[in-house]
Amino acid sequence: MRIRLFIFTLSIFLCAMARAELKWEQTMIELHPMPADTQAVGHFKYQNTGDKPVHFRSVRTSCGCTAAQSQKDEVPPGDKGEITATFNIGDRTGTQVKTVTVETDDPATPTTILTLRAVIPQELEIKPTFVFWQQGEAPNAKTIVVRAGKDFPVKHLKVTSSSPDFQTKVKQSGTGDFKVEVQPRETSRVTAAMLTIQPDDSARAFNVTARVTNAPAVQ
Amino acid sequence: MRQALFLVALALIPGLGQAIYFREKISWRSPILPSESVNVDQARAWGENAIWVDARPDDEFARDHVPGALLLNEDRWNELLPQFLAGWSPGKKIVVYCSAERCDLAREVAERLRKEAQISDVFVLEGGWEAWLQKNR
Repeated sequence: MRIRLFIFTLSIFLCAMARAELKWEQTMIELHPMPADTQAVGHFKYQNTGDKPVHFRSVRTSCGCTAAQSQKDEVPPGDKGEITATFNIGDRTGTQVKTVTVETDDPATPTTILTLRAVIPQELEIKPTFVFWQQGEAPNAKTIVVRAGKDFPVKHLKVTSSSPDFQTKVKQSGTGDFKVEVQPRETSRVTAAMLTIQPDDSARAFNVTARVTNAPAVQ
Repeated sequence: MRQALFLVALALIPGLGQAIYFREKISWRSPILPSESVNVDQARAWGENAIWVDARPDDEFARDHVPGALLLNEDRWNELLPQFLAGWSPGKKIVVYCSAERCDLAREVAERLRKEAQISDVFVLEGGWEAWLQKNR
């Protein structure tokens, strides 16, 4: 009887000791996609270092621009795997931070947040990307500042306007720094143009919108 | 008592270490300033003076959106921005929304409108698309 009680107690103890544990190689990955890349992909590797299987309950991303999937629903003890997070760059700029929330039945860490940080190279920094005049406003020139990214040397800038209603003039203010002056012919009527800015060695073009807008409504 | 205080101090060490080590970690969910957000009732009160901007992906916009809202997301920013600007004029208030409170798309679109297009009066809708649905259905 005592032996049975001892075996029973020991088995309860051993069961309590058994645990599932998912260990992540990294929970934050930084990516540096190339200018031509449309996606940035992060591989979050894990291993079950416990002695019970781990089951994935859900894998959710912080936005629709990022897709994430697990290779498997169950991770046996000792097994390895990865969650692949694919971030669609689109027309995003700068440093983008997206997360993947992973929920499992691991009681020690039921929720893990994986972070994907993508540093998107910027060939040209343009400010502002929109210049406007109100109807009746003096048609004075407005300035757009264009700065080449540090890894993208630019010697010359070509600027074209889609409409003769807006004229442009480019001035170089430093190495890789330019000022584009935009001036409407008149502001008596609503009109608009797309200004295309193109670095000399690049096939890529950047757009700025110029408009003469309605005057604000009287409130 | 001394022992208790000692244990508490000891427990603070790893906490402080983490705070220092991860001090530059960007939170995926940055808070929106009160001056940059608006609730559904406030936005609706602006009437014709408000432009609603949907920052969600194309397929979500296509499924349903605030009537009259313009799509402007970062997936097709360069293509969609001119269309948005064609509908904007000085004095208009821009209300940007996305799915659910934990979504950052609206905040990111609002920030780009302020910084790149240098447009003022840009607000993020508190509670997002779900908050609008709740008030309108």
